[in-house]
Amino acid sequence: MKNIRKRNRKRPDRLLDAERRRENGVTRITHRDEGELDFLRRRALYSAFVVIFFFAILVARLWYLQIQQGPEYSRLADSNRVRYLEVAAPRGNILDRKGREIVTNRPSFNVVWVREDNRLDDELLKKMARILGRDVSDLLVKIRKMADTPGHIPVRLAEDIDWETVAYIENNRMDLPGIKIEVVPLRVYHYGNLASHLIGYLGEINERELKHAEPGVYRGGDLIGKMGLERLREKDLRGEKGRNYMEVNALGYEQKYLKGVEPLPGNDLQLTIDMDLQRVAEETMAADNKAGAVVAIEVNSGRLLVLASAPELKIDEFVGGISHKAWKAMLENPYHPLINKIVQGQYPPGSTYKLVTAAAGLAEGVITPDSIIYCPGYYRFGNRTYRCWKHAGHGAVKLKRALAESCDVYFYQVGQRLGVDRLARYARLFGLGRRTGIEMEHEKPGLIPTAAWKKKRFGKPWQEGETLSVAIGQGFDLVTPIQLALMTATVANGGTLYKPGLVETVRDPDGRVIEQFTPQVVDRLVGQGRNLRLVREGLVEAVNGRHGTGRRARLKDLGITVAGKTGTAQVVRLKQYKHLKEKDIPYKYRDHAWFTCFAPAENPEIAVTVLVEHGLHGGSGAAPVARAVLEKYFRDRGYGAEDIDVSTLRSPADAGGRAVTAADTGRPGPDTNPRRQ
Amino acid sequence: MLRFDRRLVHHFDWVMLLMLFLVAGMALANLYSSTWSGGDTASPIFFKQLYLYIIGTAFILLLIAIDYKELESLGYLMYVGVVLLLLYTNFFVHSIAGTQRWINLGFFHLQPSEPAKLVLVLVLASCYSRAEVQDGYRIRDLIKPGILTAIPFVLILIQPDLGTALMLGILFVSMTVFVRLRWSTMAILGGAGLAAAVIGWKFLLKDYQRRRIETFLNPEGDPMNHGYQIMQSKIAVGSGQMFGKGFMEGTQGHLHFLPERHTDFAFSVWAEEWGFSGALFFLGCYFFMLLWGINIAMTARDKFGVLLAFGLVMLIFWQAVINLFMIMGFLPVVGIPLPLFSYGGSSLLTTLFAVGILMNIRMRRFQVQK
Repeated sequence: MKNIRKRNRKRPDRLLDAERRRENGVTRITHRDEGELDFLRRRALYSAFVVIFFFAILVARLWYLQIQQGPEYSRLADSNRVRYLEVAAPRGNILDRKGREIVTNRPSFNVVWVREDNRLDDELLKKMARILGRDVSDLLVKIRKMADTPGHIPVRLAEDIDWETVAYIENNRMDLPGIKIEVVPLRVYHYGNLASHLIGYLGEINERELKHAEPGVYRGGDLIGKMGLERLREKDLRGEKGRNYMEVNALGYEQKYLKGVEPLPGNDLQLTIDMDLQRVAEETMAADNKAGAVVAIEVNSGRLLVLASAPELKIDEFVGGISHKAWKAMLENPYHPLINKIVQGQYPPGSTYKLVTAAAGLAEGVITPDSIIYCPGYYRFGNRTYRCWKHAGHGAVKLKRALAESCDVYFYQVGQRLGVDRLARYARLFGLGRRTGIEMEHEKPGLIPTAAWKKKRFGKPWQEGETLSVAIGQGFDLVTPIQLALMTATVANGGTLYKPGLVETVRDPDGRVIEQFTPQVVDRLVGQGRNLRLVREGLVEAVNGRHGTGRRARLKDLGITVAGKTGTAQVVRLKQYKHLKEKDIPYKYRDHAWFTCFAPAENPEIAVTVLVEHGLHGGSGAAPVARAVLEKYFRDRGYGAEDIDVSTLRSPADAGGRAVTAADTGRPGPDTNPRRQ
Repeated sequence: MLRFDRRLVHHFDWVMLLMLFLVAGMALANLYSSTWSGGDTASPIFFKQLYLYIIGTAFILLLIAIDYKELESLGYLMYVGVVLLLLYTNFFVHSIAGTQRWINLGFFHLQPSEPAKLVLVLVLASCYSRAEVQDGYRIRDLIKPGILTAIPFVLILIQPDLGTALMLGILFVSMTVFVRLRWSTMAILGGAGLAAAVIGWKFLLKDYQRRRIETFLNPEGDPMNHGYQIMQSKIAVGSGQMFGKGFMEGTQGHLHFLPERHTDFAFSVWAEEWGFSGALFFLGCYFFMLLWGINIAMTARDKFGVLLAFGLVMLIFWQAVINLFMIMGFLPVVGIPLPLFSYGGSSLLTTLFAVGILMNIRMRRFQVQK
């Protein structure tokens, strides 16, 4: 106290007075001092309001963060701490119509490195390269590719490793921190490359597909259908991935396992395709190195039994990404393996088109079955001469013989009487010139010309002479093999154009049917039953007649009558090759060969269409292939055994009426048919 | 000097002691949760803070026997001591993580900048209580308190510890505005403050400090860096929702997403685990304690008591507001603890002293000076 007093004395100003007063006795508080104290106390009261003000702000902020934004922040907190690892779902199986497995899955083992579990140092990297038998640089490429992804997503170092390697890694896992074995289902193709254009293949998802896919379904590195049914039915086949949820801390280390969601396998597809028939078709085509297409269809439902495009696609070259070299070789291959000729190959229909011309002529009344047209081997129209393929001429021809022997002159005249537009209308009713809607990619519509089309396309009026070419399937006409098969089926079943179907049922993993094929009528030729029967009679003659063009398709030994039509599609009309022997014409200038047929003629069940690119003649090039398919088909149903089961042969009364066939109801396979024994 | 008065027991500030125990209980429970790292026992950090609480509380309960008026002169002595400690820290201590803040005392790392805040309040209260000015303070009346503030301010700023330095500035401004200022003084000080802020931003702030303020303004801009802490803190607080995730159940804290979860961001853990209801209860206790402190200021027996009580309340109040604003995303990360709640011995002991002095003032509100 003494100190303070001393120091205070030194202060010169009026502060001194106050001090003095205080010294005299604190009880005598001066008026001024009391006022000062009151002032400060009032100020302290004001400061309470400041405190309350800030308190209110804090409470309001807490309310905003915890109550108003609470759910959103909860979500953020969960996305902070919850990680999941995806478990690949087994893809759906693909079966044929008899339930035989075409494509299934098997477990494959991948070696992965979980980056956040352990840093991959040089030593470990070298060790892994040695175990896996790869170059270190190979592994580094794979690691770099994943550099942008979060650390808990594993990097695949090797795929589908053998069992010994799996065992080695499992046994030495203490020395290989961060290295794990991942089990992933892999596709197995039980029929090799059979039906490869139809089935398609899988590949790693690319950036474009990833961008267009629904969010959350795919992730980089996933497999996705790239072609064929694998692509078109991706949604059915892929299933749903499973997820293992994990709680992780801020450094990404797993703290505990939260829950797991099992993967849901994809849906199984059962096709209408018969792999036995498919095999016969493809092997017959391959036997002579033929390029082309084979289509077999149930005429009373539109179910497809064979869909073959030759040469086959080598699936194994596509799995895991095709090499540039292999791709280039395929592009330059004169047999065009990349093109699915069933729907992407457009060819002039040639003489097979005469079915349409005949049916149209009868329907429009420009001819009767007994109309006689004289064929001297050529037909002069305007100042041009149109030749018949038989230069000597057919003489007087009626409809049946005209179809059987494919007399061009006959159909020139029918076509001329009909005119191009009427002809085109019927062609469309038979399914030509428009897409069939089959489940295949990049289907071409073909081309059936009309006068209006030519005006629009070339700006020139239709020349009547062009009608003559069109009437025999040359000129502008273009069709795909699937369209010709539908045309044939429509003739065979009495005028109903079905939409072609190739998926019989889709079943979910529990076996419930979630999609079932039902025949869909696209168009119907009404009241043409009699006329179409006349056409069919002509086709029977074409195969079975003495001068028929399609005799090589006969199935005499099975007791089955086949009806069909050959066709030859000109590729070029070059004078320089006219004098050459057929064998000397370069492959790519040879004519395409068509054969389209159905059987049994009395009560058609199946139609088969064969195209052989540059096969020269329908009768010799294509008909034997169709015959092989038909033979297999009917042998499987018990024909050709010692005695013939009458029950499988239906009375002609069924033909135009109910579209019920054995295949529709029971689908008798070799095992269910008693006649096999 | 040590004269026992029966009325002191009678007037003992039970309210403040009760509030202190409530807040201490919540702080220790929260510290237990935020430092728990598996196992059966609490972490050593928890026990360290628990012992400091017990020792500190016992110490202040003993010290209230001494009349606070002794601090009027003793404050200057303590001030000199703290400045010496700061000088020692700045020039003789090796830096930890780029800053020089701690003196190793063996059992305890003393951070002299913490008592510096308290001592500044003491000397400013003493200085203003002795000043007799008419019609408010002029600028030259503020030279002495200004210098008293500037010395520790500069010493702490060069550590560098921007947050604590600013805290000293805020305390100076609070107490200066509290006493009567002339309007001209206010205007001049305001202008000078603004100029200092601009110059400080341009020339004095270190890069990382500037970046902190910038990222505060746009925390989503760089979630992995400085804004990350604020973002994680907001997620922790927000995800607590109404009733919280439960004691020891906070994911943000326990899974280490929250930075500094037992020191600066301790309240984030509390808000996450106890939700809005728990946070509101804590804030209720805490602010009642502060309002009680203001009540103490209003009922103090003399000018020094009023100024001192007010200054101590401001010391706790501003630190709390700045810390909570930071946690809730209103302010950049400045490294100011929540007094009594954040882990940290220097801060805890300083605040306990402040509370002890407040109780001291309260106890002697009717006492007549002899």
